[in-house]
Amino acid sequence: MNHLTSGQANTYGKELASMATRDELCERLKNGVVEYQEDVVKQAAQEVVDNKFDALDAIMNGLAAGMEVVGDLYDRNEYFVPEVLMCADALYAGLDILRPLVPKKKDGLNAQVVIGSIQGDVHDIGKNLVKMMFDVAGWEVYDLGRDVPLEKFVEEQMRTDSEVVAMSAMMTTTMLGMKKVIKMIKEKNPNVAIMLGGAPVTKDVANLFGADGYAESAGNAVSEGIKMIARLRQMQGKA
Amino acid sequence: MPELSAKERVEKLFRRQPLDTMPFFSGMGMVLRPAIKQLGYKFPQIHRDPVKLARAAILSSKLFGFDSVVVPFDMCCESQAIGNKISLYEDSEDTLYPTIPEKMWKSMDDVNIPSDIADRWPISLIYEAIKIVKKEAPEYPVGAWQLGPFTQAGQVLELDILLKGVFKQKAKVEATLDKLSDMCIAIGQKLQAAGADYITLREMGTGTDLLSPRTWKDVIQPRMRRILGAWKSPKILHICGATNLIIEMMNDCGADAISVDIKNCLAESRQKLGQNTLIFGNFDVFALPCKEETTVEQAVQGIKTNIDGGVDAVWPGCDLWPDIKEANMKAIVETTRTYGKKASPAVGRL
Repeated sequence: MNHLTSGQANTYGKELASMATRDELCERLKNGVVEYQEDVVKQAAQEVVDNKFDALDAIMNGLAAGMEVVGDLYDRNEYFVPEVLMCADALYAGLDILRPLVPKKKDGLNAQVVIGSIQGDVHDIGKNLVKMMFDVAGWEVYDLGRDVPLEKFVEEQMRTDSEVVAMSAMMTTTMLGMKKVIKMIKEKNPNVAIMLGGAPVTKDVANLFGADGYAESAGNAVSEGIKMIARLRQMQGKA
Repeated sequence: MPELSAKERVEKLFRRQPLDTMPFFSGMGMVLRPAIKQLGYKFPQIHRDPVKLARAAILSSKLFGFDSVVVPFDMCCESQAIGNKISLYEDSEDTLYPTIPEKMWKSMDDVNIPSDIADRWPISLIYEAIKIVKKEAPEYPVGAWQLGPFTQAGQVLELDILLKGVFKQKAKVEATLDKLSDMCIAIGQKLQAAGADYITLREMGTGTDLLSPRTWKDVIQPRMRRILGAWKSPKILHICGATNLIIEMMNDCGADAISVDIKNCLAESRQKLGQNTLIFGNFDVFALPCKEETTVEQAVQGIKTNIDGGVDAVWPGCDLWPDIKEANMKAIVETTRTYGKKASPAVGRL
């Protein structure tokens, strides 16, 4: 049987204590997001910084884990869009503190996405929720805003060489513009992944337009986005 | 069997009197490209000219055999009358409806509806357009509509202020909605005075994919009741998106008919509301008349499914998208006429 020396026990005890604190902070971040308590999230995020814990770990296992719960509550009709928006505010309160501490990738390049609401559409709640998903995942987000001319999506994708272009439309009347954008982008760069979102967008429409993914509403965008985050967390866990 | 005029058909429908066949009509915009083209208009020009507005609406109905004429087409009149600038997209060849790029009110505290709002341009041009339709196409019933206060709030404020405010600033949200409800009542009454034969209250953004049933009951339903109570019949309540969880509350607001879109499970709604409630909508305004790949046969089958689902009128679940496939649109109306000869749940046949 191995026995620890007093020095080893002391170190081990500190590690145990800091592990518990890390778990506790992740739990506070998670619950703060779920209960849309911005102050709780800010405080916990600051403690992550002060204690020199891994910021990316806190984002993924605290903030993102909280949004996973939010997505589940939305799917079960316990949360609706107002609650989700407030949870998103709480998440950003933590992200603003933690994100600057996440080291850039060695090659200096994060995954990149161009995002915007299509021309003729000034609704951007769904778009902003999807943007949050990319922010959490550490992507470089080029947010073109709303009522974005079709050509602007193509220009920005080429300028930034982004891997993903995400477009949203709230109305059938604007949805058709997406088809044109997809055609223009895919002609120039067939490897770009296109994500569509918005109330009139169905899986059938997304397939028909040649998109690679879709979310049909603001809430669904969160739900879909959260599933993507969950997959990212699993991948990170395996790495 | 006597054939009814479009006007008789729609009037009798709302009275639940026997019809010759099912009407095809709407309470939301149904202006179509072929009519705009035939008139030599450009899409952005038709929204702020009462003559073009009226004639584009009339010809759309005449070309395709609709049972009503509906004005207006865009949702920015009130916001523009309040003082916001709008984008008409005059340089675009695409079908782009007017939008409000920037709202001058930044918080609920700023909301201050002018006392003469119902008489201000461009709202006043809708009254003119209604009068033109009555004069130039008296055989049609004229439909008009108003956005509900929650949806209208999104035209004068950033919607997330209101959505978050439902929890954080409920009293302010309610006060804002009351001001917008007053505006909605006043304009609706003027639309009716101008000659609108029926009116639709479009509280589109309050389905349960956005708001909880509890919030709908607490915050939305009282305003729906007040607005509908202040308007004459016939009046229809329309909500987009998920509506099955609130369908009974929708039916308890004083409307003569309920309108839903494709996300509603019609069988469940019919089961909850019974056979006597007029239910419209639930037909896909993109897939059936517009989608490039949809064949005429598929469009016909889609309308048969819609009728078999238990609607009392074939009524687009949203604005008809102007760039329809003409053959599909004609087949949709023709199928409504032929397949709709059998009685619907709430209305018998002659």
